[in-house]
Amino acid sequence: MFLSINWLKEFTPYTGSLDELAHQLTMLGLEVEEVLNPFAHLEPFLVGHVLDCSPHQNADSLSCCQVDIGGETPVAVVCGAPNVAAGQKVAVAPVGSSLPGGMKIKKAKIRGALSQGMICSEKELELSEDHSGIMVLDPKCTPGTGLLQALNLDTVVLDIGITPNRADCLSILGLAREVAAAFDLPLHLPEFQLQEEGEACSSLIRIQIDAPELCPLYQARIIQGLSIRPSPAWMRYRLLSMGLRPINNVVDVSNYVMLELGQPLHAFDRSLLEGGVIRVGCAADGQKFTTLDNQERVLGSGDLLIQDGVKPVALAGVMGGANSEINAHSTDLLLESAVFDPGNTRRTGRSLGLSSESAYRFERGVDQPGSTFALDRAAGLIQSLAGGRICTGRAVSEPRPWTPRVVDFRPKRAQSLLALSTDAAASQKVLENIGCGVRPLHDKTLRVTPPSYRLDLEREVDLIEEIGRFHGFERIEAALPRIRKSPLDADAQVLGASLASHEFLNRTKTWAQGQGYAEAVNYSFCSRQELESLGLADEGIIPVHNPLSAEQDSMRPALAPGLLRNVRTNLDQGNQNLRFFEIARVFQHDPRSETTAREANRLGLLCHGRRNPSFWPWTDEAVSYLDLKGAIEHFFLSLGLEPARFSPGDAPQYCRSRIRMTLRGEDIGFLGRVQPGIAKDLYHARTPVWISEIDLDVLYRLSRGQSVVYRPWVKFPPVQRDITLICPPEVSYSQIQDVIAASNIPAQESISLQDVYQPDQSFECNLTLRITYRHHKKTLTDKEVDKQHFELGKKLLKALPVRFPA
Amino acid sequence: MTGEDFAGRLEAIERDFARALERLEREADLEALRVAYLGRKGSLAQLMSSLPELPAEQRPAAGKRANECKKTLLDLLSAKQDALQAGGQTADRSRFDATLPGRRDWIGSKHPVTLVLDEICAAFTAIGFDVVTGPEIENDFYNFEALNIPREHPARDMQDTLYISDSIVLRTHTSPLQIRTMETSPPPLAVIAPGKVYRRDADLTHTPMFHQIEGLLVDEEVSMADLRGTLTYFVRTIFSKKTRVRFRPSYFPFTEPSAEVDISCVICRGTGFCGADPCRVCKQTGWVEILGCGMVDPAVFEKVDYDPERWTGFAFGLGVERVAMLKYCIDDLRLFFENDVRFLNQFQAC
Repeated sequence: MFLSINWLKEFTPYTGSLDELAHQLTMLGLEVEEVLNPFAHLEPFLVGHVLDCSPHQNADSLSCCQVDIGGETPVAVVCGAPNVAAGQKVAVAPVGSSLPGGMKIKKAKIRGALSQGMICSEKELELSEDHSGIMVLDPKCTPGTGLLQALNLDTVVLDIGITPNRADCLSILGLAREVAAAFDLPLHLPEFQLQEEGEACSSLIRIQIDAPELCPLYQARIIQGLSIRPSPAWMRYRLLSMGLRPINNVVDVSNYVMLELGQPLHAFDRSLLEGGVIRVGCAADGQKFTTLDNQERVLGSGDLLIQDGVKPVALAGVMGGANSEINAHSTDLLLESAVFDPGNTRRTGRSLGLSSESAYRFERGVDQPGSTFALDRAAGLIQSLAGGRICTGRAVSEPRPWTPRVVDFRPKRAQSLLALSTDAAASQKVLENIGCGVRPLHDKTLRVTPPSYRLDLEREVDLIEEIGRFHGFERIEAALPRIRKSPLDADAQVLGASLASHEFLNRTKTWAQGQGYAEAVNYSFCSRQELESLGLADEGIIPVHNPLSAEQDSMRPALAPGLLRNVRTNLDQGNQNLRFFEIARVFQHDPRSETTAREANRLGLLCHGRRNPSFWPWTDEAVSYLDLKGAIEHFFLSLGLEPARFSPGDAPQYCRSRIRMTLRGEDIGFLGRVQPGIAKDLYHARTPVWISEIDLDVLYRLSRGQSVVYRPWVKFPPVQRDITLICPPEVSYSQIQDVIAASNIPAQESISLQDVYQPDQSFECNLTLRITYRHHKKTLTDKEVDKQHFELGKKLLKALPVRFPA
Repeated sequence: MTGEDFAGRLEAIERDFARALERLEREADLEALRVAYLGRKGSLAQLMSSLPELPAEQRPAAGKRANECKKTLLDLLSAKQDALQAGGQTADRSRFDATLPGRRDWIGSKHPVTLVLDEICAAFTAIGFDVVTGPEIENDFYNFEALNIPREHPARDMQDTLYISDSIVLRTHTSPLQIRTMETSPPPLAVIAPGKVYRRDADLTHTPMFHQIEGLLVDEEVSMADLRGTLTYFVRTIFSKKTRVRFRPSYFPFTEPSAEVDISCVICRGTGFCGADPCRVCKQTGWVEILGCGMVDPAVFEKVDYDPERWTGFAFGLGVERVAMLKYCIDDLRLFFENDVRFLNQFQAC
């Protein structure tokens, strides 16, 4: 909402500084976002006095003028306007200034005559569309003064953010009330003349409200015999200063009064209304109606229409109809001042994609008793600008008259909630200052009647906020609260569990950082198309109903799309050797969930490029399966879990090597290499991209509740023996591990893989294992170990198609 | 053998040892020499084994002499070792470059949003708040209705919403956690709820996803002074101890009274100027808006069956990216979600 300081001063005699005003408004919750000069572009222009005006010798349509612009000598200006004449006071753009359109004024020769400036039309100054001639100013203006001062323009306008609860502040009057209350100033309502004559309005038009729940009040006045003209300058300038385009004297007045008092008004050309009746009722479903912006709208049965005897003429509170709009030839009008239901107005506006200053105010609520004053004010103003006769009285239907609310207010409650020591008398003064009626009930309670324009004051707590606002939140002292926890019952544990899982995610982040991965944060959306290209677009995908773009039309079912996009972004920027992790939710449709979605916390790990951060002293190798697998095993071990089982399986299609991970029989994720074609074509990666996603909720469940219990270690010395097995391709390391684990060799303690060697041109592979033997009660002799080791070798040969080297 | 023979042989051992030591050049050969003379089967041990052959009265003196010999050999050995090591260092200096890069591994990083989120959570858990989390895809009821934002209320315009369906939304704030927490836990309680939130908005200063932290404290006789104290503590923990805090009345449907909190600009320290230049972060006002807060609206308590006459409380919500931008002087919101490693790597030290 714009607040012109000049306009404000018509309501309340504020004389303080602008800074003080802006600060005070902000601290009242009316945040001053900007201080504007809507006419800043006119700053360089001056009042000029045309001393002499003679025809140009070489051009019939031009005049050569001598213009006094306050300097020692007049300047020569060549002017092409037909109406320029000696003696006029005019608006001059001096040399060096620029017109609002951007044209720079320079000293020039025009057909041989010197020109040192330009005499401007209103259009050139962007004050109106009038380009028929130059703008002629009041003869009383002094040459050389700034045009801004000469026209008395509103050069200081505050742009104020109005919160949705403060409908009353969507007007100059409402803001003036706040200023008056804050600075303890008087408030003056606009004064106007209203001369009624002739027939009673109510005998010319009948108001019939068919939907009283959506329209508590509809009233109108009729003005006859007026003439539509452009508004006078003061009106046009004021509307311009408030960011509105002047149209004509009638439309301008309705806009002006809306800005001034907050009541939207609508003027119909009465000659286009039929049947002597205004009916307010709901549209038929599918009914078509053309609004005054010449758009045909298809309405629903909830949309409220203003209709005459035969046709709809306005979309109530939102926009008038093209069929009854005021035009240049209108002479009789019907001026509407009504109250429409906020919710319904908003719904109509939203469903039609139609917003207007009027709807904006009705949605937030207007002052029902105040609408009569606004109607009279507008009628008086129209009469003074457009002439005509105002018919006697108003045509009114008010099926639901305004009833004031009564709220009981306990000053003590305000004191304890605000932690301010304000007594009942001080509270009463604040409430009276903002227009409330206050009557002490007894010593502990005040009975308060908020004014009709403060629709937000419904409850005691709303009044408490007013006390706080006017005393100043800044006067509230800071104190730390005592924090008590609710008793340790089952419910309280819910909170604790949440904290633990939150900490688990943090711990995982710390682990991943320690492993040298950089944390990425991607949007939770991705595009369906991308999911399809990755083979992830199964039926569980949750589409976003109103996405900002096709790139964000689906909730991600996996972290891969985001992480892979990070690869592309970075490679395109020349950043190589990428290691990312991300911890975030993935989403899957689930009809059993109260939110129709299942959300799971995932860890995504991705690596691409070199295994190590530098060449020397490392070697130059690309990351491989074992690097990412090793990281994951490290993670599980660091959580006190055993390494997962990695086996080829049903991992996402976009991966070439698909490895599933299971832990204690539960699927916890996959690990794989992105298909080279996909990596290269979609994500610009020419070397392997390894990726893994791990379900952190499952992992959290498996890892939690583990407590560390100290165990003494065996004090007898270990003995180690190596064994080398020649393995055909079908034998995997895990099979060997399993056979050894199941071998029941009593003193066999652990195994470690010493070497993997694949001779050239052989499908077989030599695995060398180091077996550790240790007895918990004695030192093993060489003989005993040899026997067990031999036994183990036999079991391996029996269980698997492996052999020993010759 | 007599005592004299024995002593003579000891001298011979010492002489031979000294000579051998003289010729020795490499530290690695010391061990072999030690074994040959001082080892279990070395020459000294062999000689010692003949000690019982001596007459009984000569044995103590011979034994003493043998121990002295052993000590002499060990001293010589150790002196030689020191000399070789010292010489070795001089000799190795040409090959050893202490300035070559070490075998250094990757350095990872946490995202600045995580860093700030953790820091804020830690500040609040330190004074007794619990952490709660909830769904990002949320019912209209929790996101709006229960928070006193009915359908067709203009307050819905404050948050452009992304919908999954008519009644399911991507949560526009972390405030649904207020309701979810109070539904499952009786008062008193104090929780914070960090998480991702979504708005249908994308421009220079808005991204469709960002992070918030919600706070909620409910107890008897909670006042705005408690709110002010808690947030002042928070701001001074995250920024500096000298940060000033300003409360301005505002409006949120689920708090009453409601306030916006400004802090003195952390860039220009509230002066409005950075040197002679106007501060761009606070636009010369000296204040930057950092969060919204207020006393829990009685209507919200009624939705969760808390008695609004007995219980009062406060709630606040703050944007994590906003705090991170101020804290790390990040001037472009979009950097947070591009994941360019040149951005992410700058947080390795955090």
